Amino acid sequence: MVEAFAVASGKGGTGKTTSTLALGMALTDEYDVTVVDADMGMANMLFHAGLSDVETTLHDVLGGDLPVAQATYERFGMTVVPCGTSLDGFRHSDPTRLREVVAQLAADTDVLLLDSPAALDSRSAVLPVVLADRVIVVLQPTIPALSDGLKVQEYATSYGTDVAGLVFNKVHDDDAIDEITVKTEQYFDGPTLATVSDSEAAREARRAGRPLLAHAPASAPAESFRQAAARIDVRDGASGAVADRFRSAVIPDSP
Amino acid sequence: MNVPEGTLLKSHVVRDPRDPLAVALDRELTGYVVLEPQETLLLDSDGRGVITFRDGVPELAYYTGTDRGGPPALADLAMPGPYHVELYRLSDPALSTTGSVDALAVPPGMAAERLAGDPALAASTRRRAPADRKPERSTAGDDADGDDRSEQGAVEAFLADEEKIEAIQKQAREEAAQRAAEWGFD
Repeated sequence: MVEAFAVASGKGGTGKTTSTLALGMALTDEYDVTVVDADMGMANMLFHAGLSDVETTLHDVLGGDLPVAQATYERFGMTVVPCGTSLDGFRHSDPTRLREVVAQLAADTDVLLLDSPAALDSRSAVLPVVLADRVIVVLQPTIPALSDGLKVQEYATSYGTDVAGLVFNKVHDDDAIDEITVKTEQYFDGPTLATVSDSEAAREARRAGRPLLAHAPASAPAESFRQAAARIDVRDGASGAVADRFRSAVIPDSP
Repeated sequence: MNVPEGTLLKSHVVRDPRDPLAVALDRELTGYVVLEPQETLLLDSDGRGVITFRDGVPELAYYTGTDRGGPPALADLAMPGPYHVELYRLSDPALSTTGSVDALAVPPGMAAERLAGDPALAASTRRRAPADRKPERSTAGDDADGDDRSEQGAVEAFLADEEKIEAIQKQAREEAAQRAAEWGFD
């Protein structure tokens, strides 16, 4: 089985990478999980997962003939595929190979999480949302984040991708989040999976180069992400079908 | 809101309303910025927002689409980009003729929070604000002293504005369909 999720938000700074790794780690209790840094122009997963010193990343796979196995790392119970951060690496990557790479990964995992770019303005930015079965929208209780989240949903549903749910991240105590989530859900096709409080723990985890659930597993935000993961009802999909879909998906433009 | 005509410094289209706010702060702009969100075409209104700045810090805000000023004007203006933006410089005395109309006044960091959703820019803007424009109420830590209750009210007002949200959704759907054709999606 495999289900592919794009973790997306139209706006930067909502905590997509923290969310991707936290949901991924939480899901490892039940599933075989692979997380991919699909934000190839603004990659940062390697810093969050203690992989900043690794030699081979997705850039090298997309830019050369290396097999994807050389850019996969077993960390924190997950298979992590980081992307490099150099502009040169991005330039030399051939994004048309991404589909094949992801198809190969899909053949050998239960849950595939694609950390998606915070933009909708190019084919390669939208591609993870197009390829995924469902999208998890990361929001903050601010007007810009909500309106960008609405745009992500419209793009996703326009391209045949459903909404698995919403994660409200970086929530302050006095945000009256309960009222905001109820009102927000009226406009989204998926439920609120969790509201995650703004916390120093997430920033400390990032500085330590460890996912939140590894760095501060007992923290309130870690518990919220575990709740979110528990509410995701992972669907059985035939691995072969997902792999085929990736292979037949559109070819992104060159960077 | 009557603003004297200033010297046009820049006229361009931006995706994110953060850009003109950051530029204004960077250049310590005394003058005003006119923002025209693309959504106003869909909402069928003559919607343009004006924000005045003194030394890079926002002072007054007004939105023509709803004829509202102050914090509500910033909520009205908060839409997904792109925006057409014009930056104008004014002399300090000229800016003073706009008056410090209470109904139009906005706290220093509110435009960055509400339009750009950028707490770091809001915090930098507040630090640059003169002492007589402080204090704003504290919300989250030492750096974020915006008026959180009105921020929350603005988010709720945004979510209650079904017409505006439908316009955002409609625009995104149209954009997605148009780009699907451009990008060769089936």
